[in-house]
Amino acid sequence: MTVLEEKIPPATARPAPRPAARLLPLLAGAAALALLAAAPYLVTVSAILSLEQVAAFAVFAVAANLLIGQAGLVSFGQGVFFGLGAYTVTLGWEHAGLSFWEGFALAPVLGAAAAALIGLVALRARTLYFALITLAFSQLFYQLVEQNTGFTGGANGVFAPVVPAWMESPVEGYLTLLGIAVAALLALWWLYRSDFGLLLRASRENRARVQALGTNVYRLHLLAFTVSGAFCSLAGAMFVVYNQGSNAELFDWTTSGQAVLMSVIGGMYTFAGPVVGAFVYQFGHDWLVRYVSDWQLVLGGVLLLVVILRPDGLAGALRRPGRLRLSGRLELPSRLRGRK
Amino acid sequence: MTELLTIRGLTRDFGGFRAVDGVDLDVAQGAIHSVIGPNGAGKSTLFSLITGERRPTAGTVRFDGRDLTGLAPHAVTRAGLAKAFQTTSIFPRLTVGESVCAALAARNAQLRLLRSRTKAGIRAEAETICGALGLAEHIHRAGSALSHGDQRALEVALALATAPRLLLLDEPTAGMSPFETKRVVDQITGLARERGLTVLFSEHDLDTVFSISDEVTVMHQGRVLAHGPAAEVRANDEVMAVYLGSEP
Repeated sequence: MTVLEEKIPPATARPAPRPAARLLPLLAGAAALALLAAAPYLVTVSAILSLEQVAAFAVFAVAANLLIGQAGLVSFGQGVFFGLGAYTVTLGWEHAGLSFWEGFALAPVLGAAAAALIGLVALRARTLYFALITLAFSQLFYQLVEQNTGFTGGANGVFAPVVPAWMESPVEGYLTLLGIAVAALLALWWLYRSDFGLLLRASRENRARVQALGTNVYRLHLLAFTVSGAFCSLAGAMFVVYNQGSNAELFDWTTSGQAVLMSVIGGMYTFAGPVVGAFVYQFGHDWLVRYVSDWQLVLGGVLLLVVILRPDGLAGALRRPGRLRLSGRLELPSRLRGRK
Repeated sequence: MTELLTIRGLTRDFGGFRAVDGVDLDVAQGAIHSVIGPNGAGKSTLFSLITGERRPTAGTVRFDGRDLTGLAPHAVTRAGLAKAFQTTSIFPRLTVGESVCAALAARNAQLRLLRSRTKAGIRAEAETICGALGLAEHIHRAGSALSHGDQRALEVALALATAPRLLLLDEPTAGMSPFETKRVVDQITGLARERGLTVLFSEHDLDTVFSISDEVTVMHQGRVLAHGPAAEVRANDEVMAVYLGSEP
């Protein structure tokens, strides 16, 4: 041991964030909300319809990211709950005579129940195996819905005048969805900021350590999976307003994959990241399909660039601009980095 | 003196290899108790059997009259027994403050976590713990950005935050410079006296062991070779031959 090492002065600590810096995201959020509320009077009808989708997908992506980015549980099965939410509204209307709002209220409850059951099984596995089991559930539900033509309408889905007439106009429909999305995102924001969110992030970093601190991580993750399922299901019910019905593809793994992509593009490690991701994904898609038929190719390119240059996503880039991280060293979960 | 931790006949096999072989160990309430022994003596395995990370092949672990044998790690921690890991096990991307707050929150029941946010009281407690371990100036830095010595200190801080009655330290000064070793050892002994903690730790550095320990247990090839007050063990010829013989 050299004397030199001991003489190196301690690196200065990062200063505590100033109150003004804390207010900034709030102000930005308020400004964005005002803009979004005014949007239907400023933009085209097709853009309003895109915004309807963004409202549903933003809730979906943030709810999925509670698992993906916060807990480090990469689920490829959140589409199950998205589809379940949509079908709760449409099948509730068709088979049980439920009104739109009754189905809408039931959706998160069923989503939570289904998630608790699926989580019980899927969370027995870790990392890649967890991803594969959730993927399997996604395809299982997809097949079930597509095969049971009598009950679910099979591949045709259920398209019916389930949405209340006053919400069918794009402006009213969008403003209603915006209100629901804001309420749902506020609830999710509360969860992200709670001790629950903190322990989820801790478990992402070091599962064994959280266990050693006195938390049953399996139960912690089961709770996260259940909460995420409830909000994903709510998002699915919201999607019915745009879609005017439900179709089997909502259960497909590509729907689950969208949540993962939105989280990664927008940034998994921030609350707003998946919301940004939902906007970029939806409007990027709308813009690209006008010019190229293989828009997924471009999506793949964008994804590669984000993962290589900014693993913390676009929201991370906004937060700390100008710091391209080629190594991605700090951003990788510890288990992916070589052990020292 | 009352015993806080009582271990009887603790044994663990890995295939045909017996890593821990019928260990009896008593740790008195309020004592600083060291387990020493050469590499491979079974110290770390013994600690992992106590914390529930591994299940013993045979034997019992009793803590304050309660049988902890075979309990899961989180249940052992909740019983009042926390361990600082030998290989630093922290949260690389959480700040020091967040890490300690997480450790403080970890004892809450699951559903309470949903409602609770890190209160000012918790933050103050986290600051106290960080201050006690010399981490106050690093409270807003990410765990991965700390020096090795500070990471070791954070490791101890995390264990302390669970409000243990018995603190297990598995080679807390591994890989540290003599300067850092002295700092950490002074902090630990200071904290133990101040908070009335019982400390069980394993250590390589014999000067450290004999300077701070009330009791010393010597392990060799999975077995207890000798145990007793520090001065007595130091004078034990057999211990000198097996373990200290290599010292000039």
